[in-house]
Amino acid sequence: MLRRRIVRAAAAALAALALIATAAACSGSNSSSANTQKQGGTVSIAWNATPNFIFPFSPAANTDGYNLNLYWMLWPNLTFPGVGAQSIASPQESLWSSITWSNGDKTFTMVLKPWKWSDGQPITSRDFTFVYNLLKVGYTNWNEYQQGGFPTDVTSVSTPNEHTVVVNLNRSYNPAFYTDNLLTLIPLLPQHAWDKESASGPVGNFDETTAGAKAVFAFLQKEGGDLATFATNPLWKVVDGPYTLSQFQANGTYTYTANKYYSGPKVHMSKVVNLFYSTDTAELDSLRAGGTIGTGSLPLNDLQQAGLLKSEGYSVVPDPLAAFASIEPNLYNAKAGPVLSQLYVRQAFEDLIDRPELVSKVFSADADPGNGPIPLTFGSLVSPLEKAGGPYPYSPSKAVALLKAHGWNVVPNGVTTCTSPGTGPTDCGAGISAGEQLSFQLAYSSGTSTFDEEMAAIQSWDEQAGIKITLKSEPFNTLAGTVGVCTASSHPASTCGWQLVYFGYTPYNLFPTGLGNFNTGGFENLGGYSNPALDNLINATDYTASTSAFYQYEDYTAEQLPQLWIPDQDIVMVYKSDIGGFAPFNPFSGGINPEDWYYGS
Amino acid sequence: MTAYLTRRVGQALAVVVGVMILTFILIHMEPGSAARSILGFRATAARVAIFNNTYGLNEPLYKQFGTYLDQLVHGNFGISYYYQQPVSSLIAQRLPKDIVLVGLSTVLALLIAIPLGIYQAVDRNRISDNLLTGATFTLYAMPTFFVALLLIGLLAVQTHVFPPVAPQNQTVGGMLADPRALVLPVVTLALVTLAGYSRYMRSSVIDTLAQDYLRVVRAKGLPERLVLSRHVLRNSILPVITVVGLSVPNIVGGAVITEDIFNYQGMGQLYYGAAVQHDFPILLGATFIVGIATVVGNLAADIAYGILDPRIRHAGG
Repeated sequence: MLRRRIVRAAAAALAALALIATAAACSGSNSSSANTQKQGGTVSIAWNATPNFIFPFSPAANTDGYNLNLYWMLWPNLTFPGVGAQSIASPQESLWSSITWSNGDKTFTMVLKPWKWSDGQPITSRDFTFVYNLLKVGYTNWNEYQQGGFPTDVTSVSTPNEHTVVVNLNRSYNPAFYTDNLLTLIPLLPQHAWDKESASGPVGNFDETTAGAKAVFAFLQKEGGDLATFATNPLWKVVDGPYTLSQFQANGTYTYTANKYYSGPKVHMSKVVNLFYSTDTAELDSLRAGGTIGTGSLPLNDLQQAGLLKSEGYSVVPDPLAAFASIEPNLYNAKAGPVLSQLYVRQAFEDLIDRPELVSKVFSADADPGNGPIPLTFGSLVSPLEKAGGPYPYSPSKAVALLKAHGWNVVPNGVTTCTSPGTGPTDCGAGISAGEQLSFQLAYSSGTSTFDEEMAAIQSWDEQAGIKITLKSEPFNTLAGTVGVCTASSHPASTCGWQLVYFGYTPYNLFPTGLGNFNTGGFENLGGYSNPALDNLINATDYTASTSAFYQYEDYTAEQLPQLWIPDQDIVMVYKSDIGGFAPFNPFSGGINPEDWYYGS
Repeated sequence: MTAYLTRRVGQALAVVVGVMILTFILIHMEPGSAARSILGFRATAARVAIFNNTYGLNEPLYKQFGTYLDQLVHGNFGISYYYQQPVSSLIAQRLPKDIVLVGLSTVLALLIAIPLGIYQAVDRNRISDNLLTGATFTLYAMPTFFVALLLIGLLAVQTHVFPPVAPQNQTVGGMLADPRALVLPVVTLALVTLAGYSRYMRSSVIDTLAQDYLRVVRAKGLPERLVLSRHVLRNSILPVITVVGLSVPNIVGGAVITEDIFNYQGMGQLYYGAAVQHDFPILLGATFIVGIATVVGNLAADIAYGILDPRIRHAGG
């Protein structure tokens, strides 16, 4: 079961898909038989959730991540993330031919490719201004809006010619951050077909006034939720992606047909059938029966089935993700917060996590080592420190020494207690009283055996320093319902009663910014970590183009432990061996790119 | 009969209302918020507020219940938080599929269980009876998922006779057009239910066979075949009718495990998904439908009883 762009809501399920020692050993990379690229053919993809919205700007209250899977094939975003396993924008599939920055990186000039919409009309800069005008009035009800980002950071947009867009921003940016992050969220939309306020109304330039833009946005969002007309509404027939939607069933099964007018790289598969499987079991049974599934993923719990799948003509390959995994401490939990706020306590925790052992024994070597915030998939952006194993190699003795040095009575296999309350350099720290125990609850998503093993290992290692961990596994949605973003100003007991939590992994866009994850008030910064120095370093990476600035941010984050780093397991892909173009896996697009696939001879 | 029916319908309505109130309260007592469960833990306070405002979740509980009842009497089950679709549409899409699945499997189970029960009762305590008893007990003891996986392993994975997933077509007509894909889920449900039916039937037939009036019938020279079909069957089938009546909620409630294993997108999957996702409108809508089905099933069984056995009708007033 797959997701194109993996959101954290599915982390629990998808993280169950990595780890495959035997499969890795016995599977090939891409099929060597797929050398000749046949034109035509049908491929089916197994998914485990259903899209429910087709207009690319889904409302704020709709967070079905699978909508992206649906509309990406129809209206690709300006920047297409990744070329194979390389963390670069795809020059072939991105909608622009060049982006030039000027005015101290406050202005970018984007030249759009001379591509066409599926009705034969040219894609023009007017389509960009249409998008901008709609988002300008509708960003508050746009699911993907990033605080302070497009369109609120835009001061003006001009279109000197049919294919050129000049965008002035309210501040300087790191061009890589903007191109590889924000522009991966924005598609072009066909102004000539969609600029209307009702189904029967005329197409005009309604978006050029605030009231008109609001009406158009509301109309398109209303139409975008009507499942029954996804495949028939004339609006959605005008696309610029490699496929058009030819059939859609409310049960989540939908079919794409190749867009004859697609101006991008040649598409070979003439039809793509997306099948909905409610459970891993049903999908696995289909794979084992040699059914119709062309590609899917293998749950980690079922790795022993890899051999059988090979006999049914599948290749089974572990692929890394563009994501990091971590255990998040709640610094504003009434009981555990003061303890977890101490850097030395988090360092002791990290010293007690034997990451290489987890990679080797739990994930059978198919995982990112988790040495810090940036996974190895990002290549040159991974700092030497992270490549060398990170700042905290496994060292129980160092953990014990750290705790003793800060006034704790360490009781291996018992419970360590604070004997020196206070704020001095050898004391336990602010808010920690005498007799306070190093005892925490660690909540994590249930249903994945590797999660269970990983958490049990961490629990066991922590005992060496007398840190008592009580594990609590809950279904993902149950956990999500009780874990909220906790900050100094808002940490209600209902959503901030948790102490340590592990959801799975956090995905990155093409540029692995720390914004949102580790900055003060970041929307993914659940535990309320706040460090002005880190905020400045994050800003430096996002606003200035400098590799050394990025390394500085990266190493500082790795050392300060806003979250506890742990390995991130790969996803295990299964695909028919006669499908070519599947490898190398693109971790930045989720690897599901049927426009690149073909049957070989 | 009218008074009897009136009383039973009144009781049924009271049960449905009670179930609704209880379900509403229990659902809202669940830990964690629906907004966070649906939007995810990274949802900002502003988005949670939009969500709660959109669905009226920031209103006091009694007001929410009032709104819900008001919608209900207007035939509106609300909008699913997750699917963003009217709950009535979702139920309308899935309910017919369950009627097909559970209906077919029940019919199949009865077609096997009733003759089986009669045969075992007539041949009771002989080797054939003991063997069949052992077989039915084995089926009865097997969890549904195990039967399903066994059938898939044998008939789909090993021999490729049947597909391992149910028909994926959205309409009942489309599903019935792919009967091969229906075989395994229907047989799975039939196998796990027929044991119960056949045991009820066997016990009931044994009781009936001991009745004096059958001696009279036989003394009159009626062939044994007719004795069984005309007199024994009709008098023995009452307990089975009760059980079938009680299984009506399964038709609308779905068969969660079977649906999951065979990727059968019925009410069971809908309900389970809603429970996991805190999708209150679906939970309430489905509970309401199941509640209705439960009382209707019981009512139907009572009426069938009355038709088949006039003594019950008369005793009931």
